Amino acid sequence: MRVILEDIGKKYEGRSEFTIRNIDLEIKEKEFCVILGPSGCGKTTLLRMIAGLNSITEGDMYFNERRINRVPPKNRDIAMVFQSYALYPHMTVYDNMAFSLNMRKESKSVIDSRVKEAANLLQMEEYLYSKPADISGGQRQRVALGRAIVRKPKVFLMDEPLSNLDAKLREHMRVELVRLHKSLGTTTIYVTHDQTEAMTMADKIVLLDDGKIQQFGKPEEFYNKPENIFVAEFIGSPTMNMLDGKIENGKFISENGIINIDPKDEDKKLLREYENKRVAVGIRPERFKSDPEDKNTFKATIDVVEMLGKEKLLYIKLEDQSELVVSMPGYYEYSAFEEHKFGFDLEALHFFDRESGKRIN
Amino acid sequence: MGIFKRNRTSLSDKQPLTPLGIAGLAFTYIILIAWSIAIIWPLFEMVLSAFNGKQESYLILNSTFEFSVKHFKYLFTETLYLQWVKNTIVIAVVTTILTLIVVSFTGYAYSRYRFTGRKASLMAIMLIQTIPTFAGITAYFTMHSILESLIPQFTRQMMLILIYTGGGIASNTFILKGYIDSISMDLDDAAKIDGASSIDVYRLIIMPIARPMLTIIALWSFIVPFMDFLLAKILLTSPQTYTLAVGLFTMINDFRTINQPAFAAGGLLTAIPIVVLFISLQKQLVSGLTSGSIKG
Repeated sequence: MRVILEDIGKKYEGRSEFTIRNIDLEIKEKEFCVILGPSGCGKTTLLRMIAGLNSITEGDMYFNERRINRVPPKNRDIAMVFQSYALYPHMTVYDNMAFSLNMRKESKSVIDSRVKEAANLLQMEEYLYSKPADISGGQRQRVALGRAIVRKPKVFLMDEPLSNLDAKLREHMRVELVRLHKSLGTTTIYVTHDQTEAMTMADKIVLLDDGKIQQFGKPEEFYNKPENIFVAEFIGSPTMNMLDGKIENGKFISENGIINIDPKDEDKKLLREYENKRVAVGIRPERFKSDPEDKNTFKATIDVVEMLGKEKLLYIKLEDQSELVVSMPGYYEYSAFEEHKFGFDLEALHFFDRESGKRIN
Repeated sequence: MGIFKRNRTSLSDKQPLTPLGIAGLAFTYIILIAWSIAIIWPLFEMVLSAFNGKQESYLILNSTFEFSVKHFKYLFTETLYLQWVKNTIVIAVVTTILTLIVVSFTGYAYSRYRFTGRKASLMAIMLIQTIPTFAGITAYFTMHSILESLIPQFTRQMMLILIYTGGGIASNTFILKGYIDSISMDLDDAAKIDGASSIDVYRLIIMPIARPMLTIIALWSFIVPFMDFLLAKILLTSPQTYTLAVGLFTMINDFRTINQPAFAAGGLLTAIPIVVLFISLQKQLVSGLTSGSIKG
C-alpha cells in the first residue's frame, strides 16, 4: 500500500505552535521507510498520525487512493510495534498475539494457525503460554512483532522498536527486521533517532528536524549528498568536519586563514556566485589525505588518538587551536603530539551556503 | 573486643550493630510488643468470654473458666442474629458491587479522558470528601421520604446501601485513577490499533490489570457495613432490618436484652465472613501484575 501525505500539519491542543507542518511525502508500496530525527523533532507525532492515534490538524493523508484523515486506527489495516512493546501483561504470549484477531471475530482455527505461523517465524513456539513478565526483553520484542504480523497488515508501523535491546541483540534484530519486511511484503514505516538503524535498514529515509522534512531520499544520498548543513552534521559518525570561511578568487579560505582549498573545476563553476560570500565546507573524517605532496595541505598537531580497531580517529589541532577529526586506517602509526600534514580529497568536499545552510555543489 | 570476632562468614549486607544500635533495636522491640499486647489482649478476652460457660448476662473479669457454647446457642435461638448476618451480608454485597461498577467507570474516565471540568470536578470530589458522611443525615431522611413516596418498595436498607456506595465513590475513584494512571497509555493505543473499542479497552485491558486495586476497593466496601454503627442505628428502626453492629449493640445497651457474653460471641462470629473474604482474595491482592508489560 502506498502512503501519501499532503501538506500534513499537527498542532496539539493548548499549544500555540505547530509541532510539525507542511509535510509532503510519498511512501511507495513495499518500501522500508525510516523517519529519522533528533528527539523532539515530531517523528513519533508523524507516526501516530499515520496510525490514527493522533488527529490530523491540516492536510490530507491517503492510503492508496483512500483518504484516511478520519478513519479510526482499527479500520486502517495497520499494525504498530511500540517502543515499550505494550504487551498486555495479564495475557499469555498466545493471547497477546491472538488479541487483534479475536477482536475481528476470526474463527478459532484461523487464529490458531496464524498465531502458530507467526510464532514459528519468530522462533517463539516454546514461549506461547508464558506471560510477558516471564520472558526476556528480546523475546518480548518478538512477541510485539508477532502481534503485528498475525494481522497481516498492509502497513507496518514501528516506533523505535530496538531502543530497549542491548547492542548485540539490536544488530541481530536489524537484519531480522529487514528480512521480515521482505518476506511479508508490506510497507514499513519505522521511526528512530539512531542513524545507524536508518542507514542500514531503510530503502528511503525521511530526516525530520524542527517539524520540517530536511531531506528525503536513499541512505547513500544522505551520506554522499546531504542537502543542508543539518543533514551533513546529523548523518555520519564521527560527525562531518565543518569549516567556515569564504570564497576568494575561486578558492576557499577558512576564517582563521590556515586552510586554503582549490576546489575541483565543477565545484569552482558553482562557487562563482559565492565570491566573497560566507560558505562552509564539510569533509568526512575518512576523506582526508595523509599525502604531504598534495597542494591543499595544512599542518596540524595530533591531540588525541582513538584506536577503534579497523580505524584510528585522530583529533587534530590547527595552529589556532581549532579542532578537526580525521579517520585513518588502523594499521597506520600515529601518536599524540606528532605534527603531520593533511590534505583533502577534492571529490568529497561538500560546499554549503552559510546563510541558508543549503548545499551548493 | 574478642567476643565480637566470629569466625563464621556473615551473609548480611548490613554493618554490625554498635552497642547504641543494639539498645535502639531493643527499645523498638519493646514498643512493638507493648503495642501487640494492647491489641491482642482485648481480643483474647473476647474469645475467652465467648466460650466461658460461667459468665452470665454481665461480663465479670477474672472469673473461673468452663468451656461451653451456650452463648452461641443463645445467639442463634433467642435473638435475630442470623437475620442480622443476612441483612449485613446483603447490604455489603450490594454496596460492593455498586461501588465497583461506579468506581471502575469513574476511575477509568478520569484517568483516560480529557474533558471540560475534569480538574475542577476532581478538586470538588477531594474537598467534599473532607465532610463526614454523617453530616448529610437530614438530607438522607429527606431523600428517603421523597424516593419512598415515588417508589413504595424503597426501604431504609436500600437507602443505607446508596449512602455507603456514595460515600465510597470519592476516595476510591481517586485511588483507582492513580492506579490506572500508572498503566501505560501504550496499552490503550495498542489495543485500539488491534481493533478494540473504548469499552473493550476498559473491559479486556484496563480492568484485568487493575484487578489488585479493584480487589482492595471491594474489600474496603465490603467491610463498611460491618463496621458502621451510627448511620445504621439512626436509619434502621425495626430489629428485623438491623445490621450486625446495631443488632449486637442491643446486647450491651438495652437492659431488657442484655447479654454481654453473647455480644462477645457475636463479635467473634462477625469476623468470619471478612476473614474468609481476605483469605480467598489473598492471591488477587498481590500486586505486581504489570511488571513485564513494559520494557524491563
